[in-house]
Amino acid sequence: MHPTTNHGRRPLRAGGGWKGTVMASQSTGSSFSRRGFLGIAGSVAATAALAACSSGGGAGGSSKPLKFWNMPWGGTEFNPTDKQITLAYKPKNGLPAAKYQEIQWANFTQTFSSAVASNTGPAVSSGGGTQAFQFAAQGKIAYADNLLDEWKKNGLYDDFFDGLVDTMKTDEGYAAVPYNLDVRCSWYNKSLMEQAGVESPKTWDEYRNVCAALKKIGVFGFGVGSGAGSFTGSHILTAFMINNGGGLFNADKKPDCVTPENIEAMEFILDLVKSGYSDPAAATYTSDNVQAQWKAKKFGFGWDGAGLPSGAVGDVAADLVVGDPLESPSGKKGGLYFPNNIMMYKNTPSQKGSEAFLTYYYKNMSPLWTKKTGIGLPPLKSIAATPEFKSNPNNVKIVDEWQPIFKTWAAPGTTGLFANIANTVDGTAPMITFAQAILGGKTDAKSALTTLQKSMEGLMK
Amino acid sequence: MTTESVTGALKKARSGVGVGGSGRSPSSRERKRQFTHSRTFTLFVLPSLILLVLLNVYPVVYAGMQSLRNGDLLSAGNFVGLSNYISVVQTPAFLHATLFTIIFTVVGVFGSWSIGLALSLLLRTRIPANGLFKVLLLLPWVVPVVVSATSWNWLVATPQSPLPIIADALGFGNPLFLADPLNAQIVVCIFKVWISFPFMMMMMSSALASVDVNVYEASKVDGASSWQTFGRITLPMISRSTYISWILMTIFCVNDFPSIFLLTGGGPVNSTQTLVVLAYSTVFQNFQTGPGVAIAFIMTIVLVIISVLLYRQIRKVNIE
Repeated sequence: MHPTTNHGRRPLRAGGGWKGTVMASQSTGSSFSRRGFLGIAGSVAATAALAACSSGGGAGGSSKPLKFWNMPWGGTEFNPTDKQITLAYKPKNGLPAAKYQEIQWANFTQTFSSAVASNTGPAVSSGGGTQAFQFAAQGKIAYADNLLDEWKKNGLYDDFFDGLVDTMKTDEGYAAVPYNLDVRCSWYNKSLMEQAGVESPKTWDEYRNVCAALKKIGVFGFGVGSGAGSFTGSHILTAFMINNGGGLFNADKKPDCVTPENIEAMEFILDLVKSGYSDPAAATYTSDNVQAQWKAKKFGFGWDGAGLPSGAVGDVAADLVVGDPLESPSGKKGGLYFPNNIMMYKNTPSQKGSEAFLTYYYKNMSPLWTKKTGIGLPPLKSIAATPEFKSNPNNVKIVDEWQPIFKTWAAPGTTGLFANIANTVDGTAPMITFAQAILGGKTDAKSALTTLQKSMEGLMK
Repeated sequence: MTTESVTGALKKARSGVGVGGSGRSPSSRERKRQFTHSRTFTLFVLPSLILLVLLNVYPVVYAGMQSLRNGDLLSAGNFVGLSNYISVVQTPAFLHATLFTIIFTVVGVFGSWSIGLALSLLLRTRIPANGLFKVLLLLPWVVPVVVSATSWNWLVATPQSPLPIIADALGFGNPLFLADPLNAQIVVCIFKVWISFPFMMMMMSSALASVDVNVYEASKVDGASSWQTFGRITLPMISRSTYISWILMTIFCVNDFPSIFLLTGGGPVNSTQTLVVLAYSTVFQNFQTGPGVAIAFIMTIVLVIISVLLYRQIRKVNIE
């Protein structure tokens, strides 16, 4: 069938002598007309649209499987192992089975927000560290209080590290359950430390002396980065504030940065920077640059996540040792960690089903650590007690010596995380700018903290 | 055949009647057939049109609505009118980003144009391996910017990188190419010129190829020097392509997010932050969609104004 070839213009000869028009007229003689074709096409389109609309419906009966969305928390082995665990779930009668989906980190906020908003999201998922609290503020989260009460009865609750579950507590209830721990701790190259004639420091004064000794052999003692895509610098500065009994938020969950404890901590850091113990280019170091400096043996002591030896540090990996928590001048110890978590949503085929699945998952998720899939530290003592986990002495040290002193972004005011953390400090521009200003060494502690507080206040909801 | 005026003949032609025709207007059946054809045509085009609207117009309209609200990535927020626009233009970050965007764009456009024009003039001469040079000179533009930015980061980021070592060996000390705010701005601008000059080189090459060689011969006969030929013949004759390439490169520079974000992230201390990087960090790092989208719309309006002004210049050149 030919569309009109005169494009709607009137024919220039009376009677319409266009070949195309004549051919179109001839086509109406067949049983399959234009009208017929359009009718069939419209029916197909309407059927497809109806099918699409009906597939995204709200919570139905328990015959629908519940969706479990998980992020790539480890290496290439992580999600296949995780999927195996999920699909091996055999629910009790009447409860839904679980369906697994891996969600990439790229644009994950948009993925979750559009899915949750359109009621096509998961029943259970992991995600960003403060995601559960943001969704809880919008009424999308099913609180885990009931689940945790069950876990108190079956012993699972007591298997969590002390204080860990409380990081998930909000005024309305527990927004999620802890899943894996992303930590920030100190690392040192034992060969370089031996060469400098120093041992792992235990106080801030000892740390300053270690930095001075390392400088004599041409190595930096405050190894950190805060460049494009690297938030570790701002994490470490916050960790030092927490170490000194300070932090970013008060008990009312409002920004409270310009405190004596924080000023003392930042003045200590600025002293390290101005003394040349920090790499002058560190303010713009990406994670790759930081690892390159460790590999080039330019960092003798530094601060990073638990996975530093697994990064591109080359042969130095075997020499890397977790340092000891430092005691601040105020006699306190502390650090910063990010308890990643699993949350339940109100949009579920069965809330009982979600809770039953999570109970199964937590009882069976130890292979994610024992098979060395690359996931962060475990939340459960039983997993930390496995021979496979204990074969890594650095991880054992983090769990034994650092985990008990870790605090969250909410410190010092509260323990539990809350929604405003996501838009004020967690990977935000003010925190990056703050870290780059301190690591650049061209500011003073009070000014930098004042600027940070004002920026955070501007971002509060 | 009757004798009739031109006006009369035109009148008949407009009403669909040929010369010597009866003068009767097309029948209603004819009109109905044409209407059916138009409707069929429209119905066939409609699905593509709907898709186009959904993919292009809807996001812009939705973004516009977001810029009038105080929501975040998870919720739409409340309607706040133009307060996002008013508050954003008053922030020091916006003013700094605007200034650096102007500097970045001016350096990017004219830097790449100058080098591109110079290379295209050079490649018109008989040099050995001319074709090979043309291909190699295209590489900065052809290679994905992620690869280029990573390579440049490796070149300059740490004191052990090649360029700092060379600078130290040449007696310039140990410059912080990315950690010093001024140096970082310079590096970012040079990077932009480096990845953009091949595009300009291609635009100018095709423009130069369209210049009639007889004009050059005539100018030689008249005794014009090389500079006179370049200034009074070459430049004016390629001016249309030049203005078009300036418009395009201005848009490319203002909208260039990956070059800056991958190299410096907008740092150190926001020194290399352009408007597009500021818009990104406002939305995706600070979770302030309203102000972030407002910045993007302000950028769009400014770009449209600049494009219109430059386009008028092109039309002036055409008329002359």
